Amino acid sequence: MARVRRPGAKWWVAAVSVVGLCLTLELPAAYSQQSVAVRAGLVKGTLPADDPTAAAWATAPTSEFPLSPQVHWPVRITEVTAKTVKVRGLHDGTTVAILLEYQDPTEDPDDAAALEFMVGDTKAHFAHGQPMAQVEGGPVNIWYWKNKDGKGSDLGAKGFGTLKPHSHQDVKAKGVYQGGAWKVVFSRPLSTEHVAEDTQFKPGEFGSIAFAVWDGKKMDSGQPKEKGSEKAISSWWYFRADAPPDYSPYLYALLAVGLALGFEMALVRRLKKGS
Amino acid sequence: MGGVLVRPIILTVCIYLFLKFIVPILPHSAPLPSSLIFLYLMLVMSGSVLFATLSGESKDAFFQPILRFLTGESGGALSSARYLVLALFPILVGWQTYGSTASSDAPPAENRTIHPAPPGEYTGLSNPVPKTPENIMYGKGLYASRCAPCHGNFDGKGFASAGFTPPPANFKDPTTIAMLQESYLFWRIKKGGVGLPVEGMPWKTAMPRWELEMSDEDIWKVIMGEYDGAGQKPRTWDESE
Ligand code: HEC
Repeated sequence: MARVRRPGAKWWVAAVSVVGLCLTLELPAAYSQQSVAVRAGLVKGTLPADDPTAAAWATAPTSEFPLSPQVHWPVRITEVTAKTVKVRGLHDGTTVAILLEYQDPTEDPDDAAALEFMVGDTKAHFAHGQPMAQVEGGPVNIWYWKNKDGKGSDLGAKGFGTLKPHSHQDVKAKGVYQGGAWKVVFSRPLSTEHVAEDTQFKPGEFGSIAFAVWDGKKMDSGQPKEKGSEKAISSWWYFRADAPPDYSPYLYALLAVGLALGFEMALVRRLKKGS
Repeated sequence: MGGVLVRPIILTVCIYLFLKFIVPILPHSAPLPSSLIFLYLMLVMSGSVLFATLSGESKDAFFQPILRFLTGESGGALSSARYLVLALFPILVGWQTYGSTASSDAPPAENRTIHPAPPGEYTGLSNPVPKTPENIMYGKGLYASRCAPCHGNFDGKGFASAGFTPPPANFKDPTTIAMLQESYLFWRIKKGGVGLPVEGMPWKTAMPRWELEMSDEDIWKVIMGEYDGAGQKPRTWDESE
């Protein structure tokens, strides 16, 4: 304070600090990214669509989502093996690949995992697109992988008990069991012809995604520990295949800076002349 | 000399702080989007300028210090502040332009209405089950087996709650069942998450549709057990509307 001689000065200092404060407060909000979404970045080289262990996966950011034992509808289960699932995505402009990673102490033939999506613009309930009382719901598209099948299945459902394979099987899946954890990669073309059955990915647009995991460990009864509706689940989160980088906002910003500078200089010159 | 600018600046700061920090903690509100805050601040600032420049005299008083500042006549500590302002202005403009043209990396904002209006037939119903210790006990038993997996010890932190967004309601929180009528709970429990209207985003909620598994009488009993266990009282019919 002592160095500020003129009484008016401190108000400008205050004004500038306020602007600075606003900026610092807004910045973190713009950049914090909790796991509420999976974002599949665009890869230049080959997409690791059938290799869950490919080095390229390390370049994709990881999102992690908690899983719950399925207690929403019967048959319920109170304890499940997978507590969380780590998810990454990549796409190459034509095909999208999504990698699931989760802990499972034993490798079993009945181990399985699935992704769920909404189809089109119609909202669908995360529990198999069950009917909603006041909202006209749509179907869900489910991508399913089971260890002993060694492949992915493309399924659809609209309500409990309606799950069935699509007539067109577009989904691929491959699982690798390593060090007490499953890595399962699902892949499919970003868009398909069957828009009424299949989810479609429009790069740059967010859609919904949900997860399910079954620990197929054989119990004394001979049945798998988790099967059917007895599974670990999540409700809806967001998924996006990123659009190709767009530099135009930087250009616009640069243009705006130039204009603002020009305006400022003209103004100051004008004022100086006037006074 | 800067005196005339003091009040507009203080006003703007106060309004910013109010919009940013106070509004979100008011009941039934949510954080305002930055663009809206920005708009409000612009309104306040242009309002102040308008007000200050109403008369010729006040206009001079308002613009003189700004003028001297911009042309660098003020000198002293102000001239470095001047460069700062001259540099900050284009940066701000650039930042704002970038912000409004760049596509966001954040998923769409969700404005889920937590307590939408119930269908007409679920307003004003009163609990037909007598409030006896036995019925409350029975309701608590139902709660423990059917509700606790998600709603936990009435705090929303059941062992099965982690995977669900929105999270299971916390009944100890004063903004859930304490501000609702039993009639409303009856609707919510009977019809579940899928019974919500579109503004409640029914496709996201894990709250089961209990009418498929519980009788109306059991639902009324579980409501009693729920209030008792959470240490809350239902809002009564006369208090509302
Ligand atoms: C599968 C998890 C789950 C179970 C089991 C469950 N709930 Fe819920 N419940 C939720 C979720 C999630 C919400 C919040 C979303 C919503 O309002 O639909 C909720 C909301 C509610 C609400 C609305 C509270 C408010 O403030 O609007 C009530 C009342 C309620 N549950 C009662 C019950 C009762 C009673 C039971 C047992 C009979 C039960 N729930 C069982 C998940 C569950």
